[in-house]
Order: sequence, then C-alpha cells, then structure tokens
Amino acid sequence: MTVLARFGVTAPAWLWLLPLALLPLAASAQRRVPIPSLAMVPADGLSRLVDAVLTLAGMAGIGFLVIALSGPHLAGESLARTGEGAQISLLVDRSGSMNETFAGRQPSGAEESKAAASRRILDGFVGRRAHDLVAVSAFSTSPMAVLPMTDRHDAVRAAIRAIDRPGLEATNVARGLGLALAQFGTGAPQASRVLLLVSDGAAVIDRRVQPTLREDFAKIRPTLYWLFLRTAGSPGLADRPAGEDTPQAAPERHLDLFFKSLGVPYRAFEAESAQAVEAAIREIDRQERKPISYAERRPQRDLTGLAYGLAALAMGLLLAGTLIETDLATRRPASRPAASRETRRAA
Amino acid sequence: MSPPPLARLLGHARGQLLAGALALTALTGLVPSLPVTGPRVEAVVVIDITGSMNTRDERLDGKPASRLDKAKATLRGLAAALPCGSRLGLGLFAERRAFLLFEPIETCADFGALDGALAGLDWRMGWEGDSRIAAGLFRAIALAGDLGSDLVFVTDGHEAPPLPARGGPAFEGKPGAVRGLIVGAGGHSPVPIPRYDDRGREIGFYGAEDVPHENRFGPPPPEAEHREGYNPRNAPFGSHAAPGQEHLSSVRDAYLRGLAAETGLAYAPLDAPGGLAEALTAAATTRSRPVRLDLRPVLGAAALAALLVLFGLLPWHIRLRETVSRLRHGA
Repeated sequence: MTVLARFGVTAPAWLWLLPLALLPLAASAQRRVPIPSLAMVPADGLSRLVDAVLTLAGMAGIGFLVIALSGPHLAGESLARTGEGAQISLLVDRSGSMNETFAGRQPSGAEESKAAASRRILDGFVGRRAHDLVAVSAFSTSPMAVLPMTDRHDAVRAAIRAIDRPGLEATNVARGLGLALAQFGTGAPQASRVLLLVSDGAAVIDRRVQPTLREDFAKIRPTLYWLFLRTAGSPGLADRPAGEDTPQAAPERHLDLFFKSLGVPYRAFEAESAQAVEAAIREIDRQERKPISYAERRPQRDLTGLAYGLAALAMGLLLAGTLIETDLATRRPASRPAASRETRRAA
Repeated sequence: MSPPPLARLLGHARGQLLAGALALTALTGLVPSLPVTGPRVEAVVVIDITGSMNTRDERLDGKPASRLDKAKATLRGLAAALPCGSRLGLGLFAERRAFLLFEPIETCADFGALDGALAGLDWRMGWEGDSRIAAGLFRAIALAGDLGSDLVFVTDGHEAPPLPARGGPAFEGKPGAVRGLIVGAGGHSPVPIPRYDDRGREIGFYGAEDVPHENRFGPPPPEAEHREGYNPRNAPFGSHAAPGQEHLSSVRDAYLRGLAAETGLAYAPLDAPGGLAEALTAAATTRSRPVRLDLRPVLGAAALAALLVLFGLLPWHIRLRETVSRLRHGA
C-alpha cells in the first residue's frame, strides 16, 4: 500500500477551507510601501526569491493549519514481524459446574471455584503477553461470541472477569469449538494460532458435526490446548470406563481421542487444583513464546502534530520575513496622494 | 534609527496577527490537551435475545429489520456517540437470567472490541426459549448493582409464557438504587414471530396453537368460574384452552413503563428522538471521570482565523482605505 492510499482524515469537512490557502497569491502579508513608480526600483533577483518564498510560506501556513484541523492520519498497516505473540481464541466453559470447587462442592471460605481459579489465572496469562491478539468465546447450552479477535487486552480482561459469574446449564462443546474456530477469521494465515479450551467436562460431539469440525481444524490448523479442570474423583482422560467404552460413558476420554485424531498439534492438561492450572498455563505461555513470524497491526498514526509543526515552520518564515522587512528609502515617504501610484511588495 | 525588531513587529496589526498565529500553533504542541473531569456514564447493556426479538417490525436504513438487528445497530450507535471515557459492558437476557459477557470497557479505546461484540450478537446464543422479562430485569438490576454500574435493558417486553393471573414477580430490590434505562424494541401493531427449526433455519411463523395464551400456574383468575366447563377441583381454569394473541408480538411499552416505575429506571423507545446516548445520559448516574480535553482544534482554528485575517482581510482593507483616500483627495 502506498503512503498516499493510507492517508485519511477524521473531519473531512474542514478540507473545504483548503482553497483559502491560495489567498497569499492574491495578497501579501508584508508591509506595503508606496513608491511613485516601480521603475525606480532596480530589478533584484534576491527580492523576487524572498517574495516567492514568503508567498509559499503563507500558502503552507494556511494549508497545513486546515489539514491539521481535519485530523490527518495514516491508516494502520500490517507489518510482518518476528516476535513473540499469537492469535489466541479462548473458549471458556460457562456451564453451572464451573462454579463448583475442584472438590465438586459449592465454594466456601477460602476455597476457590473452578471458574474463579481460571479467571484469576487467565487474567495473568493475558496480561503477561503483550503482542497477542485474543478472542473470547463462551459456551454452555449454546456458543456465545463474547469478543472478536482484538489487541485490546483491557477488553479481554473485562471478558475474563465475567467468567466466574453464575453459569448456565449444559456443556455443548461441539458448537463452542465451531465458534472458537470461526473467531480466527480469514486474515493472517501465517500467524501462530492457538485455541485454548478451558472446561471442566465434556460432552459427546455429535457424529454429524464431527466432519465439519475436522474440516475446520484442518483449514485453520490451530494449536489446540485443552485445560481440563478435573473435579477430584471424577474420571481422567486416560481412564477407561468400567463398562462399555462409549462416548456417552466417558465423554472426556472420547473428546481427548477426537482431538488427538484431528492432526493438529494438541496437548491436554489435566488440572485438579488451582496450582495445576497455573502450571499448565505457564507451560502454554512458554510453548507459545517460541519466536514466530506474525503480522503486527500498527495502529493508525496521527499526523496532526506533524501538520501543526509544518504550519508553525511556515509561520516562522513569515515572521522572519516581517522582521527583516525594510524600506526602500531610509525615510518613509510622506503619505501624500499621488496621481498614479504603483506599489510593490517590499521584501 | 529603527526600533528593535520585536517591538517593531508587535507594533502593528500584521505582526501581532502573525506572532499570535505562530504562538497558538506552537501551543498545540506544548499543551495538546487539558486534564479535566467530565460527566461520563458507565452502564452494562443487557439485551434480550429471545425469539420475539426476531420479529421483523423495525426498520433499518429503510428496510424491514428484526428488533434484534435494530437494537444492535442502535447500541453500536450508542457506543460511538458516547464521549470518550464512558464505559459499556454487555450481557444477554434469555429465559430469566442476565448472562454477563464482559464488564464495562472504555467506549473509545476499546471501541473495536465493543463494536465487534455488539455486531456478533445473535439469537442463537440463547440457552432457553422462555422470556420471563420481569425476572430477567430484576436479575439484570442485581448484576448491574453488583458491578457498580448503571443498566440499559433492551427488550420488547413480550413475556413468554404469559404472566399468571396474580401478576408477575415483585421487585425485591430498592427502587432507584440502580439507575438506567429500559429500552423498548418493536412496533406497536401485533405481528407474527418467525419460527426456527433446531438447526437455526427459519420455517415460518408461530401460529395461535403453538404458544400458551394463559399461564395456569397459581390460582385461577376470579372470572374463571364463569368459563365453560369450570370445575373448582378438576378444571379451575375452565375446560378449553384460552384464546389469545400471544403468538403475535408488539412492543409492550405500557408494561415496560410499569416495570420502569417499579424499579426506578427510566423508559425510552429504541428510536428515541436524540438517540439513546441522550436518554441514557439523562437517566444515568453522573460519574466524574478524568478525561482529556483536546485543545488542538480550538488553538488551530484560532491560528487559522488569524492567518486568514492577515492574508484575506488586512490587504483588502488597506487597499480599500487607499482607494478611498485617493478618491477623497481627487485623483
């Protein structure tokens, strides 16, 4: 993109005043010195030059002030950089069981609910990583797009602070995953993409939805982390159920198997306590700190200050012109009416 | 001998104008903004995403639009119209709950995120089909009170299922403790509500036989004993399903105004004249926030005015004076 194409103004109405910058062509701000005839003044190249410079300075002064008032800026650009950062799509379980403790009880006293622990730890996680783009989605019975992919970490933290509010009923992880994948959008395919699923349980992924999810994963190819907040005593990811090994009997185990079969980098963390969650998040933080190439979106650059600076420079020139202005004669001629009087801009 | 340059400069109008314009322009770099405190609002917006909000009886850019789409567009306008330093949060209402998506965030610095989140709202985020407005409103008020912010509750006021004969739940909070707006969405003539299948595809409209028209929890209404087939023990509501218009929807603004009066909130229609920003600012708690007042446009405009006088007005003025004097002295 050329610089010109990225140029924009916030208040274009001001630009209607831009023709006023032609005023200095018609009139000079210098002192008018009446002399009887221009022929009295010898042709002077330096004077002409100074005159031209002062006219231009006047035009620049008015022009840059008008431009400054219109709020000029360069639109943000995308720079390919190598650094530490990723596109993170955060998918948080907000089913009712997240409000229980890791022991499966209602929190009391100093005990922390699973939601409160993930809130505290995710808050720190987002705060530590300055260059990430983060999107937040939540799911319970239905998926909820909370925040689109954004670099405004204040907004992300406001969304994370909401996750220990009372949750809803069920855990419908399939539709949640679909939404979290959609949050990556189509831009910046070379960026490192991370899907971080935080949930305390799983549900059967409908066989009809599985191919669609597989396709989406193959297309977007995120690194998938599952932070499984396991309630103490409940079956883990590796535990085979005593009876039949069906997705209905052991949804967590089968979700893990499904993730493993996706062909994307995948890692599950089973956390049975707040400390374990913290350790898992630190591990993800470390993993995703590998130098990666990503597109940094630079915010738009404000050029107002520059325009004012240029206007001030032009006015400084005009001022200098006024300071050095001098008379053609040492004494001002008496203001006497003359029959035909030509005036000349005195430099 | 000529006077010192500076004195000579400031000794005439041209010099004063030029020096003034330069000084004003230099000030834009030195004092670009002033820290002042300004009144700002902080509110959590809770938006009704239940089925009746899909009713297409609003207009957006001259085209028919659903209440939800209109509400989204209006709320995005609200976020853009509020002055910097204001804060908006977002929550969803369905069933009888207010579900917080995010706490209030700054409407300028975080505008992109806020705008994107509002644009992404969808009725498919709903978790249950019920629409118990009063119960949801009371929970939303409790939520806003918990966050220490004001409330904007956007709904059409269509209770589904209808309220029982003895009326809706009573407000147990302190009226006026949380201030804010109830915003009524929808038109005034009853129109059918679109119906969707379990995969989210539109399959027509709700018919009269698809929805309950009477809530049969609690004691029956007093006139029930005159109904056909009334039996105090076996058929206290009569033997026939009650007829009604619950399958059609319009904004229940009288009901919403009543709820607003009960809870100490203000009521505004979605297309309030002057926009929601004005209505919300009037209804909200005034919070003084440190904001930065941008001085540059004022300083720059003054400098421009000085330059225009210098180049536009003065030379012509002088020329005019000269012409007048020439004429007077008889050329």
